[in-house]
Amino acid sequence: MDTPSGKLVRSHCVGTTAVVYASDYLNKLTGEKIERECRRQLNCGCRALVIDFSDTKLVNSIGVSILLGIIDVAEKCGARIAFSEVNNETVQLFEMLGLTRHVVLAKDEREALMNLSHYETTPIVH
Amino acid sequence: MNSRSPSENFRRILGRVVQQDFVGRASELDRIMVQAEPTNAGRGLLLLMEPSAGVSELLRQAYDQLFNQHSDVIPIYFAITPNETTAVSAAIEFLNTFVQQYIAFRRNEPVVSNAPLTLQELLELALPADLEWIEQLIESYNRLRFGNDDKALVRFCLGAPQRVPSGRGRPFVMVDGSQLAEYLNGAVVLGTEILRVFGRGSFSFVLAGLRRQILEAAHDAKCDFELLDTLRLEQLETSEAAKLVEHVARRQQVTTSEIARDLLVQQFAGSPFFINIFLQAAREKHTSLISYLDCQRLYVDELFGGHIHRHFADLLEEISPRLDTRHLLIRLLWEAAAGEDQVSSFEVWRKRLHMGASELEDVLHRLHVQEFINWDGATVEAGAGPQAWKDYLKIRYRLDVLNEPRALVVADMLADSLKRAPHTMARHYKQIADAGLRDLISRFNCQRVPAVLFDYQSFSSKYKGAESDTVVSGLAAETEFVKLPQTVHLASCAAFFSDMRQLCEEDHCLVAHTFEEGSYADAQQVIWLAADIKSKLEVDVEVARAWCDRLENMAERLSFSRFQIWLISNEGFSDSAFRLLERRKAFGSSRQQLGLLAARVGDTVVSDIVQTSERDEFLMVVPMGEDNELIAANTAEQIAKRLTFRPEAINQIKTAIVEACINASEHSFSPDRKIYQRFRVESDRLVITISSRGIVPANLNGANSGSEAAEERRGWGLKLIRTLMDEVEFERVDDGTSLRMTKYLRPQKSTKGANES
Repeated sequence: MDTPSGKLVRSHCVGTTAVVYASDYLNKLTGEKIERECRRQLNCGCRALVIDFSDTKLVNSIGVSILLGIIDVAEKCGARIAFSEVNNETVQLFEMLGLTRHVVLAKDEREALMNLSHYETTPIVH
Repeated sequence: MNSRSPSENFRRILGRVVQQDFVGRASELDRIMVQAEPTNAGRGLLLLMEPSAGVSELLRQAYDQLFNQHSDVIPIYFAITPNETTAVSAAIEFLNTFVQQYIAFRRNEPVVSNAPLTLQELLELALPADLEWIEQLIESYNRLRFGNDDKALVRFCLGAPQRVPSGRGRPFVMVDGSQLAEYLNGAVVLGTEILRVFGRGSFSFVLAGLRRQILEAAHDAKCDFELLDTLRLEQLETSEAAKLVEHVARRQQVTTSEIARDLLVQQFAGSPFFINIFLQAAREKHTSLISYLDCQRLYVDELFGGHIHRHFADLLEEISPRLDTRHLLIRLLWEAAAGEDQVSSFEVWRKRLHMGASELEDVLHRLHVQEFINWDGATVEAGAGPQAWKDYLKIRYRLDVLNEPRALVVADMLADSLKRAPHTMARHYKQIADAGLRDLISRFNCQRVPAVLFDYQSFSSKYKGAESDTVVSGLAAETEFVKLPQTVHLASCAAFFSDMRQLCEEDHCLVAHTFEEGSYADAQQVIWLAADIKSKLEVDVEVARAWCDRLENMAERLSFSRFQIWLISNEGFSDSAFRLLERRKAFGSSRQQLGLLAARVGDTVVSDIVQTSERDEFLMVVPMGEDNELIAANTAEQIAKRLTFRPEAINQIKTAIVEACINASEHSFSPDRKIYQRFRVESDRLVITISSRGIVPANLNGANSGSEAAEERRGWGLKLIRTLMDEVEFERVDDGTSLRMTKYLRPQKSTKGANES
């Protein structure tokens, strides 16, 4: 079920995993919307995040820096994070800026959820 | 009264420029016109002029306006010139001017105002109705002229406007150059006499002179200050000064660029005098002013032998007529200004200049009046005056005192001026960017604003990432408010505590003296200490602590008993930094909060695509912000498709353009907030140039992004651009940056596998 959490950020939960959809252009404003939604989902008890880039055509460096911030936040909460359906150009960008070292890239949302479900059963050790 | 009413029938009489070309002094001109109204009869207006602010054309324009209105107000403009050697000769010249301009007005014949006529010839031109009283005036003058009472003659001449019979018009006298009146020879002090005679007359008048001198003269003349108004005449505002440069350049047929215009405005600090003589020099030397180099070459020429040189040389000669003393004075002025402590005693100056006390007093008085020094009777503070004066002093010192080779001094001055130009502009751009905080705090006046605007953490949790509509409606529904105090005084921290100058830019840290509830009592007095921290990311706890420490330290040293620290950062504060602010009872806001606060306290994307004369070249200008970089990126996409770039390469080009635009927007302090883009299509490549005006960020000075930069979470733009494009080069421009990026249809070299097209 979609969550009405803001005008443009779509999201829904699958178990304890939240799927958040990025918009066509990931910049400061849209990045912050995603960050806000991710924080909200984590506060609501989600243990894993999928950010879906199926609509995303262009990402700028500020957007990438915000994504890194989201990864930090997720790590601090002991939550796993995966990016799904990232186009080739954006994957190149993520590689250039070292983002792929910190996040799992999945072909699509389904694969991302499957990857994360493996970890969901693993107890989190603090 | 509207003083700006250009009409076809408007006659230029004394004005040296046409009415439409007279820019920058509209409000002052209006004020002078108000002074001429009947309600101000018997009142005087002192025009207190900052040196080199220029006043003559203002008075001449006022004369022309009044002449053309042809009401019962008869304008009289009199300029005391250095040609007058005594008070008597100046007073006689005043009488001549008065009779001439009176008759010209009464006959409605402007040409009479400027004609070289004797009193007898003027008498023949007088209207029959005026003949009798003018004849009597001239007879009385002739009687006094051959007497021995200079003071009586001076007073008679100056009192001539008083003798106009009722019903024959109301003289409105404007005297220009009254600073010269003090130094005329003879027993009579003209400036004092002017003020005494005019102050007791029934006509209204304007007296223009150097601000430090004219007020002193009014006190000496024991004027009735209830009948005197004052109007300060300072240098022009930046926009008005820019208009002046454009108008004068057009009039003088000097080609200029926007960059040169803006540099001249800043370099001469908006002085109409310097702007006019500089452009006049450009015309005389047939020099275009396009680049910084053009401007500074001419500037150095001017300092060494042009109008600027003559202006300062004349002033120095007046101040210290003897050559040997003048050299000593130049030495002392320069060494005092260049030294660490610019303040020294009267006695030190007396010994260094080998002068008697009264002679030194005269020299110091003249320097003080010109605002080259500040002299309070006991101590002398050097280092004041415009930049051109400081440069002139430096070259005179090196040439006259140190006897250095002229070629060396010229070369050094040119190099120094060129190096200074970008710094001058950068300082200006930063001042514009920082003006927001200063302006905002100055407008604090007991308004109630949502408390969340001073609480970054709360704001962030409620509104970060929200649409602006949502933020605005959210703020409207806020129930917790802060009542702002009333700001009564605002200055930079450095003005209170010079150590702060090393830590931040002048306007990044401000001290505001405020009163809560607008109630002027000890208990309500609070000093706000606001600092704008430059950071691309949320400010961390160490930085926040350092700022709190230094501001608290300053408050303690300045004995501020109640103070409120307010830190501002572009992206707000980390959680731990904000917790620290809470513990220290400090406010913390992001740039977004600041904008929202400004909207509460106080107050379209248009892209222009033009195909240039070159085939396959496109120019586009987009305003910064509002995701406008996407417009540029999408345009590039269309152009790249024509060249049959592969989608992957097109995406790389788009990303590079987006990054270049972000860099331009974030770093440049751009004065026009525009991004200029040029797309040139060649057979095997697309060349894109992204330019913006403003300052050159330190990290863009051609330095390659190293591993350190890669570790940063921001500042990746240039690294990305270099990776995505085949060639990246900064073009040399005087003002701002111009980044040229090239993408080949086929990779030139095989080193960049990721960039294949």
